[in-house]
Amino acid sequence: MSDNLEYAHPEVLVSTEWLAGHLNEPGLRIIESNEDVLLYSTGHIPGAVHIDWREDLQDPLVRDYISPEAFAFLCGRHGITPETTCVFYGDKSNWWATYALWAFRLFGHTNVKVLNGGRDKWVKEGRPLTKEKPSRPAVSYPVPPKRYDAEIRAFYQEALAQSQNKLPLIDVRSPGEFSGEVTHMPEYPQEGVLRGGHIPGARSVPWKKAVYDDGTFKSADELHGIYTEGCGLDQGQEIVAYCRIGERSSHTWFVLTYLLGYGNVRNYDGSWTEWGNTVRAPIERS
Amino acid sequence: MSDYPEKLDAIIALFEGLPEEEKRENLIAYADQARRHEPKPGETFDLEDVRKDEECTDTVGVFLKLDPDQHAHFRITLGPQVQTLTKAMTAILCKGLDSSTPESILELPADFVPKIVGGQLVRIRSQTVYYILTRMKSACRVYLNRRRAQAD
Repeated sequence: MSDNLEYAHPEVLVSTEWLAGHLNEPGLRIIESNEDVLLYSTGHIPGAVHIDWREDLQDPLVRDYISPEAFAFLCGRHGITPETTCVFYGDKSNWWATYALWAFRLFGHTNVKVLNGGRDKWVKEGRPLTKEKPSRPAVSYPVPPKRYDAEIRAFYQEALAQSQNKLPLIDVRSPGEFSGEVTHMPEYPQEGVLRGGHIPGARSVPWKKAVYDDGTFKSADELHGIYTEGCGLDQGQEIVAYCRIGERSSHTWFVLTYLLGYGNVRNYDGSWTEWGNTVRAPIERS
Repeated sequence: MSDYPEKLDAIIALFEGLPEEEKRENLIAYADQARRHEPKPGETFDLEDVRKDEECTDTVGVFLKLDPDQHAHFRITLGPQVQTLTKAMTAILCKGLDSSTPESILELPADFVPKIVGGQLVRIRSQTVYYILTRMKSACRVYLNRRRAQAD
């Protein structure tokens, strides 16, 4: 393993201590995204706005993301401009925070950061929470000219091609889901998948390997050992990560893209709920 | 006539008339009350069922006591990882099912959950809101089976 590596983009991570000192910084917006749909309302970091992964970011009808127009409206009503630095945090070791960050990147918003350790670390350190929702004047966010699906998102056919061409596919689910032993993740209900297993050729690297017990990201050295050496990933390679619905793989996408600096990583957000239900999709079990 | 116990029926009626924002505020208020339904020091129970199931994020303890009229009273403990909606449903069920008979709890349909929670908040990932009711029914079933076995 290499020694003393640094994150490729250390500026994307902020510590709880740093954020506590920059709560009222102009040009910075704190965004909470959770799995627990009511958690934000029970108390949040002062000044933080809430962006819900389903209500705010997903199309209500089609399994897809909102339109560029809807994204512009969402940002505008939260006082976010293209120049605003968005700091994302949330529950579950930042699953949904990185998912929201990835969705912002889909619309070309690149001023993004993650609170290292997420909501749990902030709460555990006894830092302030409030139930007061911030009210900021709406601003105008120009409608993004396009969505960057081709750059950071993989669809079924692309994941299939990745498998057929023996290119890196990272399955970030739990070992039981990967092997096909179970069709749901531990501690969660079944999410409607007919077949268990994994995409042929995928490597099992559960998302949790990237974080310490407190939810903060492991060091660059350790991440290098897990992904670069452990999976034999090369810079410049096309890499696709997937899970069940795309949130855990957003976490790994974030690690590979920002912390290890891989330039061509895509999140297959259709993930196993699409693959495991698709007629004649090839499946491996192990 | 309603299929629900009177106290639960009143809670359902309250929630059904609320706009979404107030519904959420009331759910959070109920979630804040969940700890009040934990066992009190010195309380004894007819049945105690504390376990961590695969489909729930944390350990849940269900404590059932029957009064002399065979009316059920529940206490529930929740681990720290349990979601806010589940905490809210715990307080709602402890209050709404208090003094119902175990037989009527077993027959309670679960279709009241979306009436309380609202369609927007019931998601696949939030299905554990049904879990507490399942566990309370399970406690009633075990209690009734034991009572029948003792009577035989």
